[in-house]
Amino acid sequence: MDKAPYIRSRWFEDIPVGEFHVFGNHTFSEKEIVDFGEKYAPQVYHTDPDGALDTIYRGLIASGWHICAVWMRMMVDYMERFATGVQDGRRNGAGVGFQDLKWLKPVRPGHTLTFTYEIIEKSDKVVRDHWGVIRSRNEAFNQYGELVFSFVIDILAERRPTERRPTE
Amino acid sequence: MTTAITRYWQDIQPGEAFCTESITISRRDILDFAAEFDPQPYHLDPESAESSIFGGLCASGWHVTAVMMRLLTDTFMTEHIDLLGSNGVSSLRWRKPVFAGDALHSSITVEEKFPAGKDPRFAFIDCKVDVSNQHGDSVILLTTSLMIGTGSEEAAQHG
Repeated sequence: MDKAPYIRSRWFEDIPVGEFHVFGNHTFSEKEIVDFGEKYAPQVYHTDPDGALDTIYRGLIASGWHICAVWMRMMVDYMERFATGVQDGRRNGAGVGFQDLKWLKPVRPGHTLTFTYEIIEKSDKVVRDHWGVIRSRNEAFNQYGELVFSFVIDILAERRPTERRPTE
Repeated sequence: MTTAITRYWQDIQPGEAFCTESITISRRDILDFAAEFDPQPYHLDPESAESSIFGGLCASGWHVTAVMMRLLTDTFMTEHIDLLGSNGVSSLRWRKPVFAGDALHSSITVEEKFPAGKDPRFAFIDCKVDVSNQHGDSVILLTTSLMIGTGSEEAAQHG
């Protein structure tokens, strides 16, 4: 874990392709599945444990977008834990977009997902003068070791300031 | 949430488009979602949001996708379409930030349809989903694969 404190404070140039992290795990409760479903995805298989028994899923499952939201929370917590002095949010990269998102297996109450990411590509493109684009492959596995969720996301990372723009 | 299903996969054709209602995202909504799922300064703290890349407090990108799902779900319910889930999103772009007070609506266009696989109870349609704000600016654009019921009970009986 020696290198961990520097994860969030690194510049785009410091982040190596191939870096791999197991960054969090989360157990989905029935209540949080239903709460999310009622707000954002009110199909019976996301909101009603009894009614869900009569659907193709034969029970309550988490909305795929709930899994995405939990992925985000795991990622933010991981970065927070390893933050070193980056307090103003400037170096927090925003997401640009993602591709190849797959919901492969249902996530049910009591299931625990473990989240991983690997840096797979760094684009040469410069966004709004000082941001680079980091591409990572993200996966989540359930407690049986099955891959249940995967996607590839592009996230901005701040480029190292040039000599033209000296830091104070 | 029980509505009579009157439209199955067979009844939906490529080219068909739906327009959703709109949902207004309040400051409270942004803060609540961020506190639970995306506690970063530009989603939680107006002051540091000012100096961020977004230039102000804005909704988490995953909050926007969740609201998109609500718009889509409500529309399919209104249309009595048997929506049985999704197996993925081939691509999504976050194109503009969503700020407090923005009203989002969406167009959903059926691009392709694919016959049922092993399980005859559902088949897929690919939809392009374009979510816009009240100014007509597209905020997210995605292509998703949706599972639509076929009305077949076969697999349910066989387990």
